[in-house]
Amino acid sequence: MSAAVSRNRLPIAATAGLLLGAAIMVTPLVWTLLLSFKSNAELMRDSATAFSAPYTLENYRSILVGSSVSRWLLNSLIVSLGTTAGVLILCSLAGYAFARLDFPFRRTLFVFVLLGLAVPEQAVILPRHQFFALLGLHNSYPGLILPGLVAPFGVFFMTQYFRAIPRDLDEAAMLDGASRFTLFWKVLLPLTIPAQATLGVFTFLGSWNDYWWPLISATTSDRFTLTVGLASAQMNYAQTSGLGFLMAQAVFASIPILIVYIIFQKQIVRAMAGTAVR
Amino acid sequence: MTRSRGKAGHLSGYAFAGPFLLLYATILVYPLLLGIWLSFQRADLFGARTWVGFDNYARLLTDPTFHQSVLNTFVLALLIVPPLTVIALLLALALNRATRTAAVFRGIFFSSSVLSVTIVTLIWRFILTPDAGLVAEISQVLGREPLPFLSHPDLTIPSLAITTIWWSLGFPIMLFLAGLQQVPPDIYEAAALDRSSRWSTFWRITLPSLRRTLVLVIMLQTAAQLQLFGQAQLLTAGGPSGASRTMVLFIYEVVFGRWDLGYGAAAAEILFLLVLGITLAQYWAITRREAER
Amino acid sequence: MLSLELDRIRKAYGDTLVLDDVSLGMDAREFIAFLGPSGSGKSTLLRIIAGLETADSGEVRLDGQRIDHLHPGDRNVAMVFQHYALYPHMTVRENMAFGLRNARVPKGEIDERIAQAAKVLEIEDQLDKKPGQMSGGQRQRVAIGRAIVKQPRLFLLDEPLSNLDAALRTRTRVELAQLRQRVDAGVIMVTHDQAEAMTLADRIVIMNDRRIQQIGAPMEIYTRPANAFVAGFVGSPAMTLVKAALEPGEGPFARVRLGDGAQVETRVSRAGLPVDGPLRLGLRPESVRPAAAGTGTTEAEVLLVERLGDRTLVYARLANGEEVTAQDEGNSRIRMGDRIGLAVDGKAAHLFDADGTGHHAEAAA
Repeated sequence: MSAAVSRNRLPIAATAGLLLGAAIMVTPLVWTLLLSFKSNAELMRDSATAFSAPYTLENYRSILVGSSVSRWLLNSLIVSLGTTAGVLILCSLAGYAFARLDFPFRRTLFVFVLLGLAVPEQAVILPRHQFFALLGLHNSYPGLILPGLVAPFGVFFMTQYFRAIPRDLDEAAMLDGASRFTLFWKVLLPLTIPAQATLGVFTFLGSWNDYWWPLISATTSDRFTLTVGLASAQMNYAQTSGLGFLMAQAVFASIPILIVYIIFQKQIVRAMAGTAVR
Repeated sequence: MTRSRGKAGHLSGYAFAGPFLLLYATILVYPLLLGIWLSFQRADLFGARTWVGFDNYARLLTDPTFHQSVLNTFVLALLIVPPLTVIALLLALALNRATRTAAVFRGIFFSSSVLSVTIVTLIWRFILTPDAGLVAEISQVLGREPLPFLSHPDLTIPSLAITTIWWSLGFPIMLFLAGLQQVPPDIYEAAALDRSSRWSTFWRITLPSLRRTLVLVIMLQTAAQLQLFGQAQLLTAGGPSGASRTMVLFIYEVVFGRWDLGYGAAAAEILFLLVLGITLAQYWAITRREAER
Repeated sequence: MLSLELDRIRKAYGDTLVLDDVSLGMDAREFIAFLGPSGSGKSTLLRIIAGLETADSGEVRLDGQRIDHLHPGDRNVAMVFQHYALYPHMTVRENMAFGLRNARVPKGEIDERIAQAAKVLEIEDQLDKKPGQMSGGQRQRVAIGRAIVKQPRLFLLDEPLSNLDAALRTRTRVELAQLRQRVDAGVIMVTHDQAEAMTLADRIVIMNDRRIQQIGAPMEIYTRPANAFVAGFVGSPAMTLVKAALEPGEGPFARVRLGDGAQVETRVSRAGLPVDGPLRLGLRPESVRPAAAGTGTTEAEVLLVERLGDRTLVYARLANGEEVTAQDEGNSRIRMGDRIGLAVDGKAAHLFDADGTGHHAEAAA
């Protein structure tokens, strides 16, 4: 936020619109938060009681004790962290190869990978489901993680980042007697840390919030991720029974992602800037 | 000797790129081709396959349920993309300031984007539900009958649109903000020296400078909304009687409800072509206009 | 004893030949500058010595051993890059230690070498900074330090001063000159700045058009340029070259007639010159003096006067349209448009024959 930022004041109408918009954004979130602290019995009588005391931690206690939510949270963490780590490793290796190494069909393969950006999920998800069933990968962590590792955008992103590093550094390292792996590991990779953070955050967000694939791949409750688990809870509950409990689950499930968002806000914003400039 | 060094270079290239390429081929390329092949089959989940040529595509052309889902998908995209783009642009203009308040507001408008579709629908289900929802409570305070947002055929699609706009605002706002940061400040200074009004500054300077971002937002959002799935499945289950069934939901139901894999695959290929075609058409229309200027 | 030898190095990028059979021998502790315009192949040659490029044919030997098939890290050479190429994420200390660690130098010795280099370069208090926190001049020192700690047989400097501002450049030039006294190794520096080459190098290798044009000590290059290219490239302002024809005569030295009819008596031996065919007369500005109109060797009209304080450069046009640069005192009264005489010092004149080869006054004379 520098010189291009306008410093003049907003007109009153715009300020009012902004406040109204913010209210529309925030109210559902606040309401959810309030509901999560109400006892289910009280909400059964009247959900409007959400706006007044008494509040209770009972719903959160139920989550931690004897519900599947903790299990789903663990699954989500394993899948999202696994996917993120995998994407960072694969895309860094491939990005370095495409940016720096000379091998047969390098350009062709790169274009081939870029074409993958144009393939939407629904064009591959059903046959992939078939294929994974054949391999017996459903209801397993590898089955949930593997599809997320195919990230053409990540390869493109890392390739561009490696390309932007001056070749002088490669040459200096070669003269310093570095092997190809030392060059990659000790000189170039540390310089891509900002890109790793950006790609990592987006991969984590995407994986955490993914719905389609875990919905069809994880069919037993103990392999549900949070998104799928909460969807099943949502469908199973009669409308208002356990409303507070349901909302507590929503809040609970959002906490990790909000933490990631708050910590990595800078990377997110910078990545958007990059996307817009392209 | 020199030649042997070159050869080592070849090998290491594949050593570095190989793992990704292998996964790419097996988990993306192979299913893509398998999907096309499946769309010409009568196939169920248990492995029975017969080649039926274009039968699945022909059936789709005469299937009113599919027609309805295509129509719903396009209506939803039209209800979502233009308002989303305009609102996001206005918000970005208002929030493109270096103040602390602006930063807080940016955080607020982006916060919903990090939630998963499950949580978004969970929240909105209990906002829109007529017997206990937030909107119902507000209507009652105002002395009105609550509307059956999630069960009336005329209201389900707008409800899905509103939910989606609420959920998706953050990303376009960020893109617009980033675009605004790229506008060189001296243009604004020049405009101020020319006594340009706020209004004409917007139309003559800001908007043309944001052209590329605008194109990007519209293209990304259209492609995303044509693939709308989770909201429809969770909030309205495509109902009542298919009034809010989207194409992806149709595919999901055909495959995982009716086990008609070949038919679902054919529908998926059609959606794939539609998304690709519309994105390319938008890109073409816009770049052509740019070339004419 | 020869340290570096280049033997018929040839290199092409696709169809474009950039080095054509270049050969060169260098003494063990010699400082050599590759001087030439951009595109002359001088950087490519340096990179071939470093191992960053592979020659298509030819041999590179260091201390009698072939090194052209070796990995750059195994050649016992160190390079200082034009843009320094310091590793941005490492501290100065780590930057200097990186190559030594790769070479498995014991830790104690690494520390010792770094401490010593840091002392020489006066960067002892900078060792824990990262390059991004330092000024251009400091980074330059670190880049040199990173080369020194390796104790190589040969230093390669790629345009080492081009990124420094004018004041710093002069100072660093002095420091480089002092530094080379301390290291027991040869130095090759690529530059396009002739002042840099003249002040630092023992010998200058002038490169142009894929080939070495001349190898020689700085004054030799200046006073006895091998050909018209070297004559025009070295010296500022450039040597004037005007058309000339050999006058028939008996004496040992050549007498030539200029395009405007004036005659100049040179000290260039008549014997080596082609009997007929066009010549060019080369005149450094300091060997052409303005004189009162009607006196001197020939007449000219003043086009431009450049006052440099200690001397004045006079750009003048001969009657046949050719231009000549002359040098006058600092307090010269000459003005643009004046008609003046020019006194040519024939003893310092050079002659270049049709293919550009230079002929110079006898050294003894």
